Amino acid sequence: MNQLPEWLSAGRDETRFRAMLLPDSPYTLEQLAAESKALTLRRFGRTMSLYAPLYLSNHCSSGCAYCGFASDRKTPRRRLEQEEIRKELDAMKRLAISDVLLLTGERTRAADFDYLRDSVATAAAKMQRVSVEAFPMSVAEYRELADAGCTGITIYQETYNPLSYGELHRWGPKKNYRERLETPARALEGGMKSVGLGVLLGLADPQEEALLLYRHLLHLGRTYWRAGLSVSFPRIRPQTGSYQPPFPVSDHLLARMIFAFRIALPDVELVLSTRESPAFRDGMAGLGITRMSIASRTTVGGYSDPESVERGQFDVFDDRSAELFCDALREKNIEPVFKNWEHTYNGPSSPEMAT
Amino acid sequence: MDLLHLGSYTLSSRLILGTGKFSSASVMLEAVKASGAELVTVALRRFNREQPGDDLFTPLTSIPGITLMPNTSGASTAAEAVHAARIARELSGSPFIKVEIHPNPQHLMPDPIETYEASKILAKEGFLVMPYIPADPVLAKRLEEAGCVSVMPLGSAIGSGQGLATAEMLRIIIRESNIPVIVDAGLRSPSEAALAMEMGCDAVLVNSAVAVAGNPPDMAEAFAEAVAAGRKAFRAGIMEKSGLAAATSPLTSFLGSEA
Repeated sequence: MNQLPEWLSAGRDETRFRAMLLPDSPYTLEQLAAESKALTLRRFGRTMSLYAPLYLSNHCSSGCAYCGFASDRKTPRRRLEQEEIRKELDAMKRLAISDVLLLTGERTRAADFDYLRDSVATAAAKMQRVSVEAFPMSVAEYRELADAGCTGITIYQETYNPLSYGELHRWGPKKNYRERLETPARALEGGMKSVGLGVLLGLADPQEEALLLYRHLLHLGRTYWRAGLSVSFPRIRPQTGSYQPPFPVSDHLLARMIFAFRIALPDVELVLSTRESPAFRDGMAGLGITRMSIASRTTVGGYSDPESVERGQFDVFDDRSAELFCDALREKNIEPVFKNWEHTYNGPSSPEMAT
Repeated sequence: MDLLHLGSYTLSSRLILGTGKFSSASVMLEAVKASGAELVTVALRRFNREQPGDDLFTPLTSIPGITLMPNTSGASTAAEAVHAARIARELSGSPFIKVEIHPNPQHLMPDPIETYEASKILAKEGFLVMPYIPADPVLAKRLEEAGCVSVMPLGSAIGSGQGLATAEMLRIIIRESNIPVIVDAGLRSPSEAALAMEMGCDAVLVNSAVAVAGNPPDMAEAFAEAVAAGRKAFRAGIMEKSGLAAATSPLTSFLGSEA
């Protein structure tokens, strides 16, 4: 069974990208780090864009084997009402955050499209930049989301290996590999300004995953020339449930992947979340990563109730306060940037779409 | 006095500085002071009225003798840029606007169509419009006709440090323009800035090359000196390069000797 479209199953001009990731690569880690650092400095300067996630709801209809919010977990379910969302946003604004990523599980009746669109509008009234990591939508829905003030979406394929994908997504709408694969294209078609891609590292052979992710990015860049592209590097973290990743990714390999993406795609935003340790995050700042999450809570309602002991979607590793984290960046001669957007730039991506 | 005229403004420094990409606001301020720049650009998206520690605009207003020019970087359409320009004028009080529209956030190439549309509207509204453009001689003249006070063609891609990759087009723009031509983007070192000035550019705008230098204030000063030297050389008249070597056998002997 070959479920892969042509643009994903064969690449062009990827010799160097492959070579950078080989177990016996001719490039040392130190060589790649130096090149990646120079490219990052030239293109992005000595700055780091900051954002924070806001979990709107942990209701979910899917059975992803690796996720703490999968529908068979005993996790208590709740969603934030618009008034609660405002309260969370206010708590985030007190931390200086102006760039927010809204998250939900797969589409459910409790957290459906209308709920998400209303939440985007609520967030856009308070924040400069709003993006969404939720369920796959139709072109028309993405268009509505853009009109409500959403600038981009994050959607991970999780794994590009169709067999692993089928096994891990045990039930629910997320079972459909092709549907998920084509989601970033639909979002851009609908007027989203940017899409963030990634694989959940640990699920399948990391070298192979990186290569297919790279092809996916190139394909989107060619097809949608206005698209802003970003890549995240989430590694599986301990969560509710007892899933053990079959292909654990070491710090060395993760660093190598980040350098390879920076070198192959010098202009794209590379993102690292609080899933990673303080030492790894501090070390990678300035070497390739240009965007980081900060002071993250992965529980629903976690900002206005920071004492909650509830377990989130995954366990945060870098739990430093915004202040401590920014101090660490400044120590490295990197300016933390909270506001790097203007809400007047929200709206669909092309002039033909503007109303 | 050799002054740069931009609308009703006259400047003695021909170095314009960008303010993004610095490691901190204090390093940026030191670099601006060291550069002697009188015109400094700052992105509206880096204005932050709610978090003074994250704001680039207010600290710049503490430097005497500089005029701030907000820019619309982040806008991807004419409509967004026009809206941003109006907000920026409201917040900064500056009549200048650097129209910067890049629909592709990766390579940050300016969109000539949207830039033209936005510039036309903003010039009519009384802004002193300085559009960041591809090095296209026709577009430059169209923007002059639209009422811009200068054009800012790119030397090469933003942050690329590739220098004056567009030199041939820049020469045409300089030759034909009635408004100041300011090379913006791509300059890596002071010698490249000097070269741009020797070619006859009226000013240069530099950001990355100063911001990511080992010592940004020193680099800012070095750029200022190079720009001044290049300008002086241009005004003094640079000698011609030597011509072709004489052909070994005469090309016009068939004409016989002149009577």
